[in-house]
Amino acid sequence: MSKQEALGKKPLQILEKIRENLERLNEKIEVMIELQKHGKKDIQTIPETPLDVMTLLSMPDHLRKTAMTLCKLGRATADEIAQQTHRARAVESAYLNQLVIMGYLKKERKGRKAYFYVDREVQGG
Amino acid sequence: MNLGKIIAVHSYKGGTGKTLLSVNLAATFVQHGKRVCLMDIDFRAPSLYTLLKMGKVEFWLNDYLNGTCEIDKVLVNLSDRIQSNGKLYVGFANPATEAIREMSSKDRKWEMRALGRLLALRNSILNDNGFDYLIFDTSPGLQYSSINAIVASDLVVVATTFDRSDVDGTKRMLHELYDLFEKKTELVLNKVLNDFSSKAMKEEMQSKIKDIYQVPVLGIVPCFCDVLKAEGGIIFANERKTHPFAKILDEIATKIENNMV
Repeated sequence: MSKQEALGKKPLQILEKIRENLERLNEKIEVMIELQKHGKKDIQTIPETPLDVMTLLSMPDHLRKTAMTLCKLGRATADEIAQQTHRARAVESAYLNQLVIMGYLKKERKGRKAYFYVDREVQGG
Repeated sequence: MNLGKIIAVHSYKGGTGKTLLSVNLAATFVQHGKRVCLMDIDFRAPSLYTLLKMGKVEFWLNDYLNGTCEIDKVLVNLSDRIQSNGKLYVGFANPATEAIREMSSKDRKWEMRALGRLLALRNSILNDNGFDYLIFDTSPGLQYSSINAIVASDLVVVATTFDRSDVDGTKRMLHELYDLFEKKTELVLNKVLNDFSSKAMKEEMQSKIKDIYQVPVLGIVPCFCDVLKAEGGIIFANERKTHPFAKILDEIATKIENNMV
């Protein structure tokens, strides 16, 4: 099927797919901007690191606020976190994605929305 | 949504009167007609079980945090012990040596799940069951269980004394623990030997304490020989309502109820 045919048949789906991809790209750029701001070129990724209170205590203030809010909500979008912290959605999105990279949070997509959560049940111990 | 509050009673050092304050604060709220849930979060040195002279307890808070039972199985209805229309439910920590040892050896992953279960109490206790207050009686210092309770709470009541090491440690905790978690923190200065019989003396002391700690003072409790002699066996707020200790607790509870501090 040619691109023109596809566009004729499913223009809306294709546009939505492009928007979804752009949003994902945007999230990645936000994380990179945040890393630059805090003078880190890379964050060490530790798979499934427990987000316990001692870890929360040792976090930088800006990440602790986001992580604490997510702990209270259980599962939330960047928008829902931003409503609680009174910071911009883009800022929360960057912090949440940073916490995902660090292994403290999990992320799940449902349609256009990205949900973040603390994976308490899967981890053994 | 219920507007109930979660209160963690905490301190830097042991022996500052956390449990006595927790029990009497809970009893005072109950006498004000409130529905109160009191929980012993001090798994290293459980005391509510002995203090409240309990018999057989089927499920402990240990079981709830271990994920082997739900919270309704743990709570014991002790409303008949307080003369009022309010309700008092208590969750006990298991005082058996084996249970204390088991709770002391938990790893970070377990503590993370325990935090999740403590955070879930806001829904199960306050929202679903309509309790007005959930009070955590915690262990002193930077214990995992205490910090979990602090993170899950709306208000931290810090019991402290004029003991020098306690003053220094409490000041550090205010800045390096409660502030970091952005917790509303209020002080109860306990076992005070100074004379503050007049209003002026009381105000002078309150201002002195506020200068030292830079946080609101919820109450100043003198060192009462009657309270010490009772060895924790009397709930003054219930059995000796006219005692000055019970009256101070009444003032503290009223301040919390009215968000006055």
